[in-house]
Amino acid sequence: MAIQIVMDRTGDSRHPFNPDHAKELAKAEQRFYELTKAGFTAAVRTGPSQTSQIRSFDPTAEETLFFPRVVGG
Amino acid sequence: MFGFRQRPPGGRSLMRATRALFIRHRAEGTPESRSLRLLREWLSPAQREQFARKGYFEVVGSDSGKRYRIHAGASLNVCEIDERGRLQGGWCFMPIGVLPIGDVMLAQKIMLETCEGQVRAVARRFTPNGFHLRQTRPLG
Repeated sequence: MAIQIVMDRTGDSRHPFNPDHAKELAKAEQRFYELTKAGFTAAVRTGPSQTSQIRSFDPTAEETLFFPRVVGG
Repeated sequence: MFGFRQRPPGGRSLMRATRALFIRHRAEGTPESRSLRLLREWLSPAQREQFARKGYFEVVGSDSGKRYRIHAGASLNVCEIDERGRLQGGWCFMPIGVLPIGDVMLAQKIMLETCEGQVRAVARRFTPNGFHLRQTRPLG
């Protein structure tokens, strides 16, 4: 199972999906582009101490984190 | 005669344990605790240990290699530090919307580690002082 985690006022919302299931994968891909189009940043962990941003849907990512656009305070 | 009932042996400690469990369960379900749990999951082992011990953690900027210290907080909580760990200047930036503290800190960490230049372009500078960076309670 893979998961998409979206930060929100409750802490986060979690959307698990099975990447081997075509329908679930398509839904996850749709969610990815809806969120990034809305300004969310998508990040994945590439190692125990490394993170990277992704700009296109990665069907192999086990965990993708989304957070809102960052602005100056 | 007044309707008092005698507690069974160990009843008081059982009640205390049940109450403590209830309080802990409620505390772990709050947005803040959920966000801090997510933050800890995404910190490197060294950052996690530093956060637990000192209440802040350090990240390395992706473009300049400069070091930043992220204190517990949702604004005015990120400082650039020099090689000796001395505060150089503050950078105020955060994700838009209402997010609990752990989420804000995690977004700040990821942004500095992956696109530092973009952060510095939008962040507002401030002069850090003890008031901004005070730690009111341990969060790590």
